[in-house]
Amino acid sequence: MQLKHKKTNDVLIVRPLEKRIDASTAAEFKKKMGEWIDAGNRQIVLNLSEVDFIDSSGLGAIISGFKKIGNDGNLVICTVKESVMSLFRLTRMNRVFDIYASETEALDALSVKA
Amino acid sequence: MIRLIIDSRLENVSLVGGAVRGIAETLSMDSTTSYQLELCVVEAVTNDIKHAYHLQAGHSVEVDVLLYPDRLTFRICDTGERMNPAKVRPFGFDPSKVETLPERGMGVYIMNSLMDEVHYETLGGQNILTLVKYLNKPEKSA
Repeated sequence: MQLKHKKTNDVLIVRPLEKRIDASTAAEFKKKMGEWIDAGNRQIVLNLSEVDFIDSSGLGAIISGFKKIGNDGNLVICTVKESVMSLFRLTRMNRVFDIYASETEALDALSVKA
Repeated sequence: MIRLIIDSRLENVSLVGGAVRGIAETLSMDSTTSYQLELCVVEAVTNDIKHAYHLQAGHSVEVDVLLYPDRLTFRICDTGERMNPAKVRPFGFDPSKVETLPERGMGVYIMNSLMDEVHYETLGGQNILTLVKYLNKPEKSA
């Protein structure tokens, strides 16, 4: 699974370049996110602009990263396609994650939280 | 009827998903509805591979797509271990408590929420999950 990542100040921006985060890629995604968190990253923006399909396994992998950071930092999400957003709403994860319309808005929000 | 058959490997699930999305789009469904139909079928096929076949390749998962004037029906069939409904945990969590957030077990909830009918039966050694989506009837012209 291709995951583009870059560090801006103290924020790690992760952008999956695949269109799908599903059961065949969720384990790899979860492992990679776990490694970045273990390496000390505590402010993470997950940019889902390229992703047009997430299933419950993919969502579970994102939740896993969120739980791993816990109260020790922030994992926020940005640029979610409307169809994928329907999964966040259905599972009420839109009440768990802070979701922003753009990467800039997400970075601004984290700079306030930090 | 369209019949899709894949070998029980997770990397094959997207092939079925893409076909379902294509069918939904051909029926002029909007992008969210197309995604949600794909999602339900993907959840069902993934459950078959994970739970009926325990991630072992070499088994078949069949998906029959049946279009009726008033509904679209998917039948997802396997010959593996039967699903035990008693083992399906109800979906729920406290959004304010991180430790309660679920990382798995959301598939059945998703299917039950998005489809109009969900049935599960075993016939002649074949487990069949039927998902039904009612189609919107066109409005009558004045």
